[in-house]
Amino acid sequence: MEEQIDISVDFAGLKLANPVFVASGTCGYADELADFMDINSLGGFITKSITVKPRKGNPTPRIVETDSGMLNAIGLANIGLDSFVQEKLPIISKLAVPVFVNVAGETIDDYVAVVQRLAGEGRIAGFELNISCPNVAKSREGRLTAGGLSFGTEPAQAAEITSAVKKAAGEKVLMVKLSPCVTDISVIARAAVEAGADALSMVNTFTAMVVDTEKRKPALANRTGGLSGPAIKPIAVYLVNKVYNEVAKERGIPILGLGGIRTASDAIEFIIAGASAVAVGTASFIEPGCAVKIVEGIKKYCAGHNITNIKELIGCLG
Amino acid sequence: MSTEQEAIKAKADKGPFEAVVYGHKHIRERFYRLGLEFAGAGAKAFAKAKAGQFAQIELSTAALPAAEKIPEDLADAAGRKILLRRPFSFCDVSTEKEKTRVDILYRAVGPATLRMTTLAKGDSVSVIGPLGNGFSIPADKKTALLVVGGMGAGPLLHLAKVLTADYPDIEVTAFAGAKTKAELPFEKPLDEISQQVGFSLAEFARHSIESLVATDDGSTGYEGFVTDCFSKWLGQNSISAKDTIIYSCGPEEMLARMAKIAEERGIDCQVSMERMMACGIGVCQSCAVECKIEGSSETIYKLCCEDGPVFNCGELVFSS
Repeated sequence: MEEQIDISVDFAGLKLANPVFVASGTCGYADELADFMDINSLGGFITKSITVKPRKGNPTPRIVETDSGMLNAIGLANIGLDSFVQEKLPIISKLAVPVFVNVAGETIDDYVAVVQRLAGEGRIAGFELNISCPNVAKSREGRLTAGGLSFGTEPAQAAEITSAVKKAAGEKVLMVKLSPCVTDISVIARAAVEAGADALSMVNTFTAMVVDTEKRKPALANRTGGLSGPAIKPIAVYLVNKVYNEVAKERGIPILGLGGIRTASDAIEFIIAGASAVAVGTASFIEPGCAVKIVEGIKKYCAGHNITNIKELIGCLG
Repeated sequence: MSTEQEAIKAKADKGPFEAVVYGHKHIRERFYRLGLEFAGAGAKAFAKAKAGQFAQIELSTAALPAAEKIPEDLADAAGRKILLRRPFSFCDVSTEKEKTRVDILYRAVGPATLRMTTLAKGDSVSVIGPLGNGFSIPADKKTALLVVGGMGAGPLLHLAKVLTADYPDIEVTAFAGAKTKAELPFEKPLDEISQQVGFSLAEFARHSIESLVATDDGSTGYEGFVTDCFSKWLGQNSISAKDTIIYSCGPEEMLARMAKIAEERGIDCQVSMERMMACGIGVCQSCAVECKIEGSSETIYKLCCEDGPVFNCGELVFSS
């Protein structure tokens, strides 16, 4: 029975063997997780954020655990574009699954520079535009550009950066990663899609704070961090469903759903709510092979519910 | 898998492995020693575990102690639903009949270690490891000095065993300190400990290693920081800096003082660092440790989990 079930999905013109990705920042550049699973058995892979120049990241503590979740404020620590091309691209090129490179920066030029350099690489399927990292704040010319977060919270800026990067991306798929820290996420989603986004990934972490009551200081050196893990899942499912109904469905734009997924039933919730694919993030820290188990679990769910093609499930919420 | 692409090869089997609790000893106060036994692939992987390496243990499924057994100061934290694994180093590793036993010395300090206290013989836990880089033992050393601060005892007890068993030509002396007598993570009655070097700590004595104890409040042994006790001992004993190596594990302020002592005397020194970790396998980038770049005033962040937890103290930038 399970052999006859089709769990492949179409994702902005890409044919994915299954709908499960590992989320940016939770799977490094692929070699780190190779000890724990066969990444080629996933639907796709998303790299850690790449910026033009290497970034040291924030001082420690960079994480703190919360009830059913964690805050992180890594600060986009990464090896930079040049080292990525020299050291990591050859590794990623060995993957047989579609690879998205997550791109971050402080200015539109930063983003465009990374995408331009990588757009000609045959083994890269697309880019995930990180306009929603809550952990880097830098004042530039009097304007706060929070590691891209202001690109993700103001519709005009979201449109401007999407449009600029789309031109640089050429034929590659452009996926825009949305912040949940906005009044109406559909406004930003619409701005990104109308400016050329081929797909949306949602949601990034929620800006949050933990207070150390002994020291009467924030638990994180960065003061605030992004909340992830099972704690955010119901909000993420709601937001995916909202954007699916209000923006994505009518325009045929696929959504990559993420936020607290650690089991196949979590993934199925997102798919029913409107996600064409899902990404496993924080759960990989606890169970590095978790995403592969979710692929198997999705097959079992379909078998147990007489579903022969997973596409029947996408957005079928009653 | 596509036949055109070569798979990214796994470097080592790090689990997750199932380990079975073979023993669990309440030492006293909040100190415990948990014994885990691995079979099969886990036994193979952990048989090679080096002193100073660590493992990530899943404790979210372990039960909380009964309400009346939860210390009052941990009552609020106890109810928190934990998510992440917790990293622990080993105080002993032994292999027999294709099984590997790994002992962990720990203190109940929060919701995860509180759950850990309820693990009983026969229970199983999920373990990822061994992870990180352990202590290294340079060929030319004749003296090894182990300096322990509080819970830093674990990996240095493991190292003590390795040094005695595999490096008979290296003379080893241990120094152990804590804030008070009650916070020394050792089993023996600690009341009559002298201020002289001797076989006062059974955990080191069983490896024929003499030790010296210090407590900040003088409740047993030397009164003062273990680093001061160690400095004083160094002043009274003529040791050859070139032939000596210091191994240390403890709170970061203590390690910073150790680094200073080692630098002043020109003695090699390896320290085991601690950081909050989400994954322990080099992915999450949480456990950054600030390090010097040779010939530059700039610094970089290395990862405690992958580049450490053991570092040569000369490369570290201590914030304190």
